Amino acid sequence: MASKEKKANLLDHYSLKRALDDAVTEIITANGYAENVNLSNLKMGLGLVACTIALVAQFFPKKFPANKGILIWCIALYVIVFVILQLIMYFKEKNHILFTHPLQDSFSSTGLAISSKFPRFSDLYTLEIASVDPKSLSANPPVEFTKSVTKWFTKDGVLVEGFFREDVENLLNKFTLESRKGK
Amino acid sequence: MGGVSDYVKETIDSIRSIQVRQLLLQIITLGMIVSLALIMWKGLICFTGSESPVVVVLSGSMEPGFQRGDILFLNMGDAPVRAGEIVVFNVDGRKIPIVHRVIKVHENRETGEVDVLTKGDNNYGDDRLLYADGQLWLNRKHIMGRSVGFLPYVGWVTIFMTEKPVIKYILIAVLGVLVLVS
Repeated sequence: MASKEKKANLLDHYSLKRALDDAVTEIITANGYAENVNLSNLKMGLGLVACTIALVAQFFPKKFPANKGILIWCIALYVIVFVILQLIMYFKEKNHILFTHPLQDSFSSTGLAISSKFPRFSDLYTLEIASVDPKSLSANPPVEFTKSVTKWFTKDGVLVEGFFREDVENLLNKFTLESRKGK
Repeated sequence: MGGVSDYVKETIDSIRSIQVRQLLLQIITLGMIVSLALIMWKGLICFTGSESPVVVVLSGSMEPGFQRGDILFLNMGDAPVRAGEIVVFNVDGRKIPIVHRVIKVHENRETGEVDVLTKGDNNYGDDRLLYADGQLWLNRKHIMGRSVGFLPYVGWVTIFMTEKPVIKYILIAVLGVLVLVS
């Protein structure tokens, strides 16, 4: 698969989580689930809008105090966009690292919502796979596993993708099989 | 020696292999940080009513009260200009605003308009030498704000960056690289 090894700084908590989350995204997309970028696009769009508002406020041709009205408008609009962005991040995103579309050619599955937790001073990484839309008929109950990151990294900080892939794919199979058990 | 060129090649490869989407995300994140700072600055301008709410003292003309390198916080407000206040004002034809004390005020009782004369505490004479040709008084429109607070020494950073612009560019480059790499 990847020709270069993934190396993370073992002392940097954030880089460990980042390495694992990126690997999860690779593995899930390799299993046929396409990434759903709508939410990410929405956030980027809003970010661009906010930047444009700031640029207008800065480069508007009139000097203060003649442009006071425009400034107040820009500030108000910016605050609104900023708050919307924060709300999106807080309510919809939370711990999620990946949203996917349903498997192609499948009628009975929904997209996945994958989230991960990696508390600050712990070595336990939790991965959870759930349905994007919990109320849909073909939704499966969420599944998760928690394991120490020492199982997947060598002492040099290299991520051993084979071990990690095994764990993630087992979880994925567990998730897709849950519905068949119920039926 | 070979190890160094391999490392450089690896770094260049890893930089090239960042997808377009990731790059866009980074740029927008950077833009959000910059725009937040900009909007906060504009908000401060509106709140204080002064077009430059924070200024740096550049000369020693107000010693011993204000030294070169002090930061001044300004507020405009609607209160009338009175003698004894320390004001920051612009003179037509001068790029940099001046921080001096008001020593004379002539007010028209009907219109409320004022003629103001200023002088630096540490200067020998009043500021008429600094005003534009033929100008004897300042008016309210020249005044950017009154000094309402100060921080000593912090302004030296700005003085260095203005006198040696190289430092400014180096700082921005370093910040940019830090954001991209993290």
